[in-house]
Order: sequence, then structure tokens, then C-alpha cells
Amino acid sequence: MHPPLSLIWFFLTAGTSIELFTLTYLAELLSLFGFDTSLPRNMVLFSVVFSLILVGLGAVGASFHLGHKMRAWNAIKRFHTSWLSREAVFSGAYGFTLFLYGISYYFGFNAFFVHLLGIFTFILGWLSAFSTAMIYASNRFVLEWNTSLTVIYYLNMYLMLGSSAFLATTYHYKPELVKPFLLLTLFFVLLGLAFRIAFNIRQFFLKRPTLNEALNLPHNRPIKVLDTGTTTNNYCTEEFYYAKGREMLNFVIPIFYVITFFVPIFLLSYSLIKGSTSYSFYALTYASLVIGSALERWSFFVEGNHVQNLFYGLYPKEGYTLRKGYMEKKKTKISI
Amino acid sequence: MPQYALVIDLNTCVGCHACATNCKEWNTQASFGPLSDFEPYGRSPEGVWYNRIMSYEVGDFPDTQVFHLPKSCLHCQDAPCVPVCPTGASYKREQDGIVLVNYDDCIGCKLCSWSCPYGCREFDEADKVMKKCTLCIDRIYDESLPPEHRKPACVLTCPAKARFFGDIEDPNSEAYRMIKERNGFVLFPDMGTNPANHYLPRTETKVHVDEHLLEAENPLFLEVVRRHYKGG
Repeated sequence: MHPPLSLIWFFLTAGTSIELFTLTYLAELLSLFGFDTSLPRNMVLFSVVFSLILVGLGAVGASFHLGHKMRAWNAIKRFHTSWLSREAVFSGAYGFTLFLYGISYYFGFNAFFVHLLGIFTFILGWLSAFSTAMIYASNRFVLEWNTSLTVIYYLNMYLMLGSSAFLATTYHYKPELVKPFLLLTLFFVLLGLAFRIAFNIRQFFLKRPTLNEALNLPHNRPIKVLDTGTTTNNYCTEEFYYAKGREMLNFVIPIFYVITFFVPIFLLSYSLIKGSTSYSFYALTYASLVIGSALERWSFFVEGNHVQNLFYGLYPKEGYTLRKGYMEKKKTKISI
Repeated sequence: MPQYALVIDLNTCVGCHACATNCKEWNTQASFGPLSDFEPYGRSPEGVWYNRIMSYEVGDFPDTQVFHLPKSCLHCQDAPCVPVCPTGASYKREQDGIVLVNYDDCIGCKLCSWSCPYGCREFDEADKVMKKCTLCIDRIYDESLPPEHRKPACVLTCPAKARFFGDIEDPNSEAYRMIKERNGFVLFPDMGTNPANHYLPRTETKVHVDEHLLEAENPLFLEVVRRHYKGG
């Protein structure tokens, strides 16, 4: 699949925004239960404003993916069937309640009201993230994406971004809270690494369809594509098969593994073991995660193979195993 | 529920691309047009086509056969492109089962094309909306046309008469009979989309005559000779 930069931008901004707010509000919520996690007022306001700016920038950036930006509001119409519609509704609602939360917190409204808004924002943020992940995971024609792993991994990537941003902010405003959140960030990054490895390994074991299945021909007929009806590329060969990206993939995957996982793991572990806390460590961790995640999302798109590529002979054959009983199921009879 | 669709005979399709060019010609100027072109006379001409013809070779050399596969929107009965559309611009008509895109509502998010396993939707970079085969809905209901012309442009133009149009749920229609009598099949049956467009399988043209029929004392001998060696 061709990686749309606007969607990668949305991933980075919305991911940081939602999870930065999640952790900020979680700390606030825990303080209600007697934990010493209440945050300085300035930090909460900074987190809310920063999250609000990010989600706003994300929405503007994501609109560049659309052919008609001014009609984007129409996307709320099919909430009952479309994950993209749900994402649009939940993202918009998240931004709105986040704004209200910020206002109510700034003016010191009734604590119950502030927390109610906080819980709403928290839930809407997660629903928005889940809906975005489901857009990919529910696409049964891109087998690499069509797994619950995509959703869990996507949400965890959001947590990686948000927790590292939260860590840098916490260091600035309340350094005594750094250690538990340092552990939490390290946990998310390690979990992300495990999920990404699982995502990559899974691709080798996918039962991929063949051109024979696409054309409803018996499996034992050798078949090859002679002509695709066009002398140059068309929308299908450009949108669903990114030739340049496929060439670069083997080069980009190791790089994003290093930048997204190994560099942050090194920095966080070093900080944890040596006990040395430094703002630059955490800022660098976040920066590394942002750059790495951008490359990771790019790879996520390029790794996705749409089944329509079969008709053009551009679909990979690796991992294919013959399905037993396929011939018996077939209704088509090739008569001689 | 009626379901209009195309039935394409792979046995007679010669891959001449007449259906694709006539489709482009009609639809670029009719209600759903234009189908934009980019660099039409340049080095890399690109453009929107509702119908594309693919050619495949089956078998090992020298026992190979080539067949041509015209592929346009299959108007799936469980169209996966419809529910994913966030605006409802992509819809399936109840009265005839045709899947259409309302260009005024389409936001050009491309998600419907991601959800089509056949690659039958194309994004028009000039109009910034998704376009696809309409089964020439502006022809088939046009009462100003003579009844025999109320068919999709691709069906009317096919020089080999390999394309048929009709209601595949109506036992009286030609399309229905073609599918039943000649084992019509669909593309990618495992995808659960239940496509409406059907293809008639390619058959090898071989004449098999049992040896005993060719014996002179067989009363059918002369009949066999007359039929199979006529003019030979």
C-alpha cells in the first residue's frame, strides 16, 4: 500500500495528544484515591493545551488525505457501519471535551464536573484511537493488517508516544514522579518491540490467496499475467503497490527498529540503572520515538499487500500453503 | 430483489479492448463523466477507466491457452465498499442492485477502494472523488433510447458478442440463463463479496470421436462423417 504522509502525521499527533492527556488525567484521577500523583496546575494546563494543539494539527494534517476537505464533516453520517466515520466522530468529540476540560480546569469549576469531563475526554480519546486502529485491522483484503494484533500494537504505539512525552513533561514540572513513569514508558516500549516482532513474524505464516483463487481457476493450473490492459501505471498499481517503497523496505525496517525501540530502550534503561535523570534524555527519547514511529508507520503501509495486486501479478507468494479441499468446494466446472 | 449485472463469456472474448474504450468514450461525456486523463499523449499516460482488460496465460508451454478478463465493478451483492464509506456516498440501490457513488457526498478518502478486493474503483485526481462502473445507469433507464439500446455501452459495442446484461435474479433473463446453463462463475469466491457480475468459463474446443464410430459398418458412420468431416 502507498503510505499517505497525512495519515502518518495524524498518527504521531493524535497518538501523543491522546496518551499525553490519558496519563495526565490518570495521575489526577489516582490522586483522588490517595496516591501522591497530583500534578502541578501548570503541568495539567500545559498537557491539555499541548494535546489540544496536537489533535488540531492532526485533524488539519489528516484532511490532506481527503480529496474534498470542505466536505469532511459529511464523514459523521455512517457512524453505524464505518470505522472511519466513528474515528471522525470520536476524534472531534475528544477535541471538544478536551477543550471543555481545559476551560473548566483553568477556571476551577466544580471538581466533580471537571472530573466528569476528564473521564469523558479519556474515554473518547481511547475510542478514537481504537476506531483508527480498526480502520486497518478490519480490512480483510490486506492480510498483514487484518489481525487483532494491529489494534493492540497501534494502541501501544500511542502509549509509547504519549508516555515518553509525559515523562519529559513530568521531569520539568514534578521530577519526583519520573521514576514510576520511566518504568511505565520502558514497559510500553518493550511491549511495542514484542508486538512489532510478532507482527513481522506473522507475515511469514500468512495463508495468502493465489491468482488461481482470484480467477476461480483450479489450483493445479499454472497461470501467469501476460498483460494488465495498460502500458503505464494506474490508480490500482500506484495506490496498492508502492514499488519504490518495496525496494526501500529492507533498508527502512532495521532503521525503524533501532530508532523506535532500541534507542529509547537504551536511554530509558540507562536512566533507570544509573539513576541519572536528565531532561535531554527524555526529550531525546520522545524525539527518537516520533521519528522512529513515522518510519514504522511508513513500513506498516508498505508491508501491506492488497489482494487486488493478484490481478496485476504484484502479490507476494511467500507463505502460501495449498488449502486442502479447495477443489472439492469449487462449483465451477471446466468442461472439455 | 433484482440484481442487474454483466455476464462475460471468456470463450468468445478476444481481448480487443473495445468494451473498455467504448465505456471510456460514453462515460467521459455522460452523466458520470468526465473520466479524467493525465498526459494522454505523453510518456506516461494515466487516467480513470471503469473497465480494464487483463490477459492471462494458463498451462505450461507448449500446452498453453490465453484468455482475456475484462474487469469492471462487479456490483457485489455483499459489497464491502459500501459499509466502509464514512459519508454514505457509496451505496447499493435496492431496486436494481447497482453500486454507485454519489460524487456530491464523496470526500475522496479512498477507503472504499481499499475495501474492494478486485481493484475496480479508481480515484479521479482531477475531480477528487472515487469513480467506478455505473452499469451505464444513464443508458439503461433512458426511455428516449430504443429498447434494444438500453444496455451498458460495453455490451452494445462488443464485436464478439461476449458480453450480456440483465437481471441475474430473474429466471426469464438471458443473463440468468447463461449463468445456469454454462456454469457461470465469479471472481474471488472466497472473499465473501458475492459478486453479481459473472464469467462464463473458457472451454477447450476439441472434437472427440470414438474409434468404433468410424467403422464403416456402423450405421452412424455416414452421419459422423457428414458432421465432423463436412467440407474436409
